[in-house]
Amino acid sequence: MQTVVTGERPCWRCRVDTAGALVCPGCEAPQPLASDADLFRVLGLPRSLVIDAADLERRYHAASRAVHPDRHQMADAHAGALAVGASAAVNRAYRTLRDPIARARYWLDLHDVRLGDDNNRVPPALAALVFETQEKLEELRGANGDAALRQEIEAVHADLASRIAGFETDLETQVVTWERDGVSAAPATLADLKRRLSEISYLRSLLDDVDAAVGA
Amino acid sequence: MSQVVGIDLGTTNSLVAVLGDDGPRVLPDPATGARLLPSAVAFLPDGQVVVGRQARELAGAQPFDTVLSVKRFMGLGVEHVTDDDRRRYRFAEREGALRLVVQGREVTPPEVSAHVLRELKRWAEAALGDAVTRAVITVPAYFNDSQRQATRDAGRLAGLDVLRLVNEPTAASLAYGLERGDEGIVAVYDLGGGTFDVSILKLRGGIFEVLATGGDTRLGGDDFDARLADLLRRELPAEIREHPQVRAQMLAFAERAKWSLSEGEQAEVALALPNGGEVRRTVTRAQFEALIAPLVDRTGVVCRQALKDAGLKASDVLQVVAVGGSTRVPLVRGQMQAVFGRPPLVDLNPDEVVALGAGIQAGILTGGQRDMLLLDVVPLSLGIETMGAVFTRLIDRNTTIPAAARETFTTAVDDQTSVDVHVLQGERELASDNRSLARFTIPVEPQPAGVPRLEVTFLIDANGILSVTAADLRTGQARSVEVKPSYGLTDEEMERMLEESIDFAEEDVRQRQVREARVDADTILNATRVQLAKHGTLLEPGEGQRIQEAVTALQVARDGEDYVRIRDAYDVLSQTTEPFARRIMDSSLMSAVEGRPLEDL
Repeated sequence: MQTVVTGERPCWRCRVDTAGALVCPGCEAPQPLASDADLFRVLGLPRSLVIDAADLERRYHAASRAVHPDRHQMADAHAGALAVGASAAVNRAYRTLRDPIARARYWLDLHDVRLGDDNNRVPPALAALVFETQEKLEELRGANGDAALRQEIEAVHADLASRIAGFETDLETQVVTWERDGVSAAPATLADLKRRLSEISYLRSLLDDVDAAVGA
Repeated sequence: MSQVVGIDLGTTNSLVAVLGDDGPRVLPDPATGARLLPSAVAFLPDGQVVVGRQARELAGAQPFDTVLSVKRFMGLGVEHVTDDDRRRYRFAEREGALRLVVQGREVTPPEVSAHVLRELKRWAEAALGDAVTRAVITVPAYFNDSQRQATRDAGRLAGLDVLRLVNEPTAASLAYGLERGDEGIVAVYDLGGGTFDVSILKLRGGIFEVLATGGDTRLGGDDFDARLADLLRRELPAEIREHPQVRAQMLAFAERAKWSLSEGEQAEVALALPNGGEVRRTVTRAQFEALIAPLVDRTGVVCRQALKDAGLKASDVLQVVAVGGSTRVPLVRGQMQAVFGRPPLVDLNPDEVVALGAGIQAGILTGGQRDMLLLDVVPLSLGIETMGAVFTRLIDRNTTIPAAARETFTTAVDDQTSVDVHVLQGERELASDNRSLARFTIPVEPQPAGVPRLEVTFLIDANGILSVTAADLRTGQARSVEVKPSYGLTDEEMERMLEESIDFAEEDVRQRQVREARVDADTILNATRVQLAKHGTLLEPGEGQRIQEAVTALQVARDGEDYVRIRDAYDVLSQTTEPFARRIMDSSLMSAVEGRPLEDL
């Protein structure tokens, strides 16, 4: 285990203090990622569930301009390799943090809460809906091109999509409250968040099934 | 340092461009001024290789030994070759990278492609007056890892350091963005000779962010030609229908008919048959459209999926950019309009826009275009084969590159000495339904099963090409990784081909010298003929005879392959005609003097 370096982080090339930046403020060389850098830190954000989408995009673009391999094409091989690694981290950070669900999952990860295997089990609150939808899909696969059935499935599709949107909005308001109350890491909060994430990801995969059936 | 060029290595045509002070420009053939180089390579019986327009014309005479669209075969294995491909070319029945058989010799697609790249390199060097050693080469966005590696190998074989592979639709968006400066969502619909791509991008503040991409690497204008040619061939007598020469001629006719059907409502087709007969018929646009409609519909399905992957609706799209020669077909334009709800933008030349974009990317890489940055994605999911021959995804399609994924591996039996990782690319559930990229072998120290812990990192770089590294998690030490590409060239094969390509380059230089000597010979032969006709009266007794002998000697040398002999015969003619030329000069001076009043002298 490496101890967290406090104080100076000198640039590997010009020895200027980089203060943990992605590229050296002196010579623009990409820096190795700090061992304690999480995806929030990569884009210069605190570990918060609440993120402003426009601000996130601005940070992502600025970080990309700094570390993308295109910007270090003419540098030496070491700088080039660091640029690829840093750029991959920046891309992963943006991909994870811009989606509220992926962000919340990652945030739980950081708090050592795993969604684990029970994530694949049907959340009790959704059991009836899941059962009904699967049955309809089964019917649709059996009966080729039944217009009435197809319409029904399309209605289910719309219902699922709006439920997911509702869950997501709900989640976002919840996390704002949690952040404000400063109880973000309280066990009850974590359990609640975990349950909600399970439900959303279950709905998302159900929606994918419906999509596949309708598209076929 | 010399300039970095941008190359559009197309299925039917290729171009080279460069970023100048006033924007990107295409560099033409120094001899003819042509901007498009047909991506055709003809292998002659005497070992010579002809590239471009001349090669295309040889397709009728020697169809099996003239490769018209090698791009279709890049990064494939013999099991991916279709029946139709087998009717047009010969292949070696071997595992690994595909090999075409031309003039009884095996060549890999990267070697064939390298001939096209060498010719473009020559064009660029002539236009820039400097050696060209570095290039950005475009590839279809939907190219997988093997196809990208094969393209990079082709560049290396042509003596080019390939700084970056850029996706064709993305390159087009750079040219479009530089030209128009729009901000918002842009869809690029790129239908070339052999490949189809669609990319949905977000343009903002100089950042070109690809949100989703989709495509089909075996769908293009060539398929339109093939369908039309098949229709025409079916009407021929059975005994000549399958004749390879008839096939090749029919394809050429079909292509011309397609062009004229983009403008007019019907096209005339006339074909001289090998048995001396002739076939004439008319094809209407409606007939042509009925043939290609299923293909065009397929592009629509891909576009809708790309929009869905980007999380967008058609109405979110600000502009649709048409790229590739096949977007000139009215039915294709109609499809774009149907999918995106607006007519495509066609003010940039669809044949040149990708090359111009590649030139811009070359400028971005060398610091000449600092305000623009391209963020592209991986077109197909990347993963590994896991227990039960299942495909486990590690990096999803449409993930922005560079992208990395880590996975921990251990051993299944005691004292296992290596761990094998099978990497695949695709979207299917079963490993065998996806495209195998490579097998990686990582050595481990013999230990009880489950004890070793290997962390394997999969890294996709900005070219969309995968590399794999491994580390022992318990010691933190890096482990070597042995790569066995499924359809690519091994390092040893590359090494051997590079050596051969150097030999070839020497042969290439010789051929160029022959060509240049011939051009000079033709110039002096022509001038001599003109001057003899004009100023024959100035010849001294016996001089005409001597000049005629030198002319004949040069004509004979000119038709041979020995450039030294051509140069020598050139010098003889030049010396022989020198007194005659001086007399012509004097006499024209005299006549100029004679005509003028004295005081002017």
